[in-house]
Amino acid sequence: MNDERFALDVIARALDAAHANEADAAYVAVDQNISRFANSQLHQNMSEESASLTLRVIVNNAMGVATTTSFDADEIARTAELAREAARHSQPVPGFRGLYRDNEPLPEIDSFDDATASIAPAQKATALRAMFDRGREHHIEFAGAHATGAVSVAAGNTHGVRRFARTTFNDATVIAIGAHGSGYATQRALRASQLDLAALGDEATLKATLCTDRSEDLAPGAYDVILEPPALAEVFDWMNMIAFTGQSFEDGSSFFVGNLGKQLLGTNVTIADDSLDAGFLPFPFDMEGLPKRRVALIENGVLRTPVLDKTWADRLGMQPTANAWSLGSSEHGAAFHLSMSGGDATREEMIRSTKHGIWVTRFNYVNGLLEPKTALMTGTTRDGTFLIRDGEVVARLPNLRWTQSMVEALANVESLSRERRTVGTWYNMFGGTRAPVAKIRGWTITGKQERGSSS
Amino acid sequence: MTPERAQLEDVLRSLGDVRYADVRYTATHAQDVKVRNGEVDHLASTVDRAVGVRVLVGNGWGFAATSDVSEETIRRTARRALEVAAASNLASTQIITLSDVEPHVARWESHYEIDPWSVPIEKKLEHLMNATEPMRGDPRIHQVSGDISCYRQEKVFASTIGSFIEQTTTQMGGGIEAVAIDEGEFQRRTYPNPFGGDFQAEGWEFIERLDLPKKALEIRDEALQLLAASKAPAGRFDLIVGSAQLALQVHESCGHPTELDRAMGLEISLAGGSFLQPQMLGHFRYGSDLVNIVADATIPGSIGSFAFDDDGVPAQRFHLVRDGTFVDYLTGRDTAPFLGRVSNGTVRAETAARIPIIRMTNINLEPGTTPLADLIADTKRGIFVETNKSWSIDDLRLNFQFGCEVAWEIENGRLTRLLKNPLYTGNTPDFWRSCDAVGDRASWQIWGLPNCGKGDPMQTMRVAHGAPAARFRNVEMG
Repeated sequence: MNDERFALDVIARALDAAHANEADAAYVAVDQNISRFANSQLHQNMSEESASLTLRVIVNNAMGVATTTSFDADEIARTAELAREAARHSQPVPGFRGLYRDNEPLPEIDSFDDATASIAPAQKATALRAMFDRGREHHIEFAGAHATGAVSVAAGNTHGVRRFARTTFNDATVIAIGAHGSGYATQRALRASQLDLAALGDEATLKATLCTDRSEDLAPGAYDVILEPPALAEVFDWMNMIAFTGQSFEDGSSFFVGNLGKQLLGTNVTIADDSLDAGFLPFPFDMEGLPKRRVALIENGVLRTPVLDKTWADRLGMQPTANAWSLGSSEHGAAFHLSMSGGDATREEMIRSTKHGIWVTRFNYVNGLLEPKTALMTGTTRDGTFLIRDGEVVARLPNLRWTQSMVEALANVESLSRERRTVGTWYNMFGGTRAPVAKIRGWTITGKQERGSSS
Repeated sequence: MTPERAQLEDVLRSLGDVRYADVRYTATHAQDVKVRNGEVDHLASTVDRAVGVRVLVGNGWGFAATSDVSEETIRRTARRALEVAAASNLASTQIITLSDVEPHVARWESHYEIDPWSVPIEKKLEHLMNATEPMRGDPRIHQVSGDISCYRQEKVFASTIGSFIEQTTTQMGGGIEAVAIDEGEFQRRTYPNPFGGDFQAEGWEFIERLDLPKKALEIRDEALQLLAASKAPAGRFDLIVGSAQLALQVHESCGHPTELDRAMGLEISLAGGSFLQPQMLGHFRYGSDLVNIVADATIPGSIGSFAFDDDGVPAQRFHLVRDGTFVDYLTGRDTAPFLGRVSNGTVRAETAARIPIIRMTNINLEPGTTPLADLIADTKRGIFVETNKSWSIDDLRLNFQFGCEVAWEIENGRLTRLLKNPLYTGNTPDFWRSCDAVGDRASWQIWGLPNCGKGDPMQTMRVAHGAPAARFRNVEMG
């Protein structure tokens, strides 16, 4: 189910079955293995081969969508009928100028790694066992997940557009748990050679064993924070939902509305959707078949554009950004390859320049629905929160609750690291987030994790 | 297309000499209808078929799944599960014990009066248009929308202990919302709940009973009033939490921390652990004497109900918190022995393509004896909050912050001003111990939440929570 001929055949049969002047289809096949571990034991281990077809039929500029995981002729015909029925009951999308027709050449990128696609479960288990053994030497237990796999994507439409690409992913998350604290490290890569599981284990262990003899408390207030890439990535996941999508722009909830072209954030803040960067997680097209390009969402603090599928771009009279990741989705565009530009600092320089602040490894359970017009969010810190005093990391802190407007925070970025890291996102098989370390002034801490009175 | 019993049992036999194995097949059907600002925003159908094979070899679990339900592919998937189990044995030294369960051969279907798929799309659209169009007109109403969703999952389970179980659940959900925007102020009101509304294991009769059109003007007016309302104050107040919001409070601060896999550290990599540790069982003061929280997978018509879990264990009803004391976890066959207990039947997977893990069923705060009107009348100075807007809780499920769509000030036993953007925060046991009044059966309602996330890959589970309104003393707001 992963080969090009099969995938494009499914697309062709679906478009034939549509019996419509306009239709487009997307086929996604996944072959993955996810090894989850806890207490330094591999406790959940799964492999999956699955595929799905989504068919969108356009009747008088009105759309209907149906999805199936079966590809025999009867099922495809039934899926087409469901999509047609939905389209017949739908209404024309205002401004819609038809499906993509230009069929431009795709960017030439290498998105597949044979070595990653062929990693066997036993190979991963052996590497995990070595990491577990190394952790025991330091009285550390590990929890986490190591996911590898290949994704095949085909897209096509009734205007002759046909696309096919394969990509691979190699994603590991490691939590090191010691007697007095935990640490965390994560990375997503396209190639097996780009990810060193043992190094991630060592990185997490370093955080778990840092300042274990010194813990302090912190009163609520505004502090300088140094955020590691996973912390920024969690915030950007929410920005993607509440601020970057075509839907949030059209319905008025995004802080981009009324602010395009304005310098709302710091001049050192540039965030793009970039699936062409060979050092990130490259992919050549979106599900509507449009060639991917680098799209600057925020450029030197100036808000440039939300991400838009073609349907919503037509509706809004804007340019599509090739960000349709599912046909007919309510988001009408999502940034699956968020890339924040780095600066010229190092993490160590940021720490040295901080008089009284917090070094944050990651966030937990962020929610961005508090006040979307200012991107007010809340969450807690997790797996390594440290107090910085007079330029040195001096103590472990409890997990802290924060409540912070991201519009305000991204206007207060003091420095960014040169080095960036790619972090995976749970909702996204094609991409992730690439972010530097950021030092931000005046981050609002509102509480902390405490067990309360015991009884 | 549904595999026959003989075929599934043949697959199990093909695995050879294993400690345990099961094979599941699911066909999951969904239809989603959404209207927005007088247009059909989204109209989509999905059919997802999957087969999953789970096998225990030695002390290693292996799981493999496929969306191709042909006989040949299912057999290949079974062989892959064996390969994965062998790999697990390379990096696991723990002893896995499965609690006992009797073999069951059974068939179960949830009940409905009117099949969701028998209702024509045009009727669903007409219903949503009738509910949303009256909300439009005021220029500050930027968006009105309505959702109706239909869900059906057919599941077949066969295991090496001889069980063969067929289950079908049919569910519907519906809701409406109004979004008001004015000079940078953004307010949303929904009925009966955000994110698609409320969900029950019923048919079209549930949508008729919701009566979305009847509530439309009320939520529109509240969204408009919220634009000009004062912000909910910061400080410590007596807090009355309405049924819908309290249902989510139960979900986050009781449902998740009583999942035994979390307490054992098995979910730390994604969702986190739990402050409720096994040594606390039977004596830890989770809440006040008035707090009784029950897991009940047997409630007819609720989306957290079933007849057997995905271990083949019968659905059950049991206390998690009794008279304020923490007394039990949600468990499965391979976790319950850690406590020296047998599974209480809470292991489920989103589809057959995912590993079954411990999931909430219907986790309910049992009703008390105080009518809602008396709760308010008995409060001198406080805040009443209702309908969730935002939620966040730490990795041990201790420190939480919830935002609600709407609040009202309470002064001298009466609801007075409408307040916007209420936030309340606290520590789970301290919060539940401050509960000094629990609403009666009249204010108790069961709420379906179809979007509980857990696991890796992320599994979205359909769970439910019954809750009345309740009062909590001296809660931090803002």
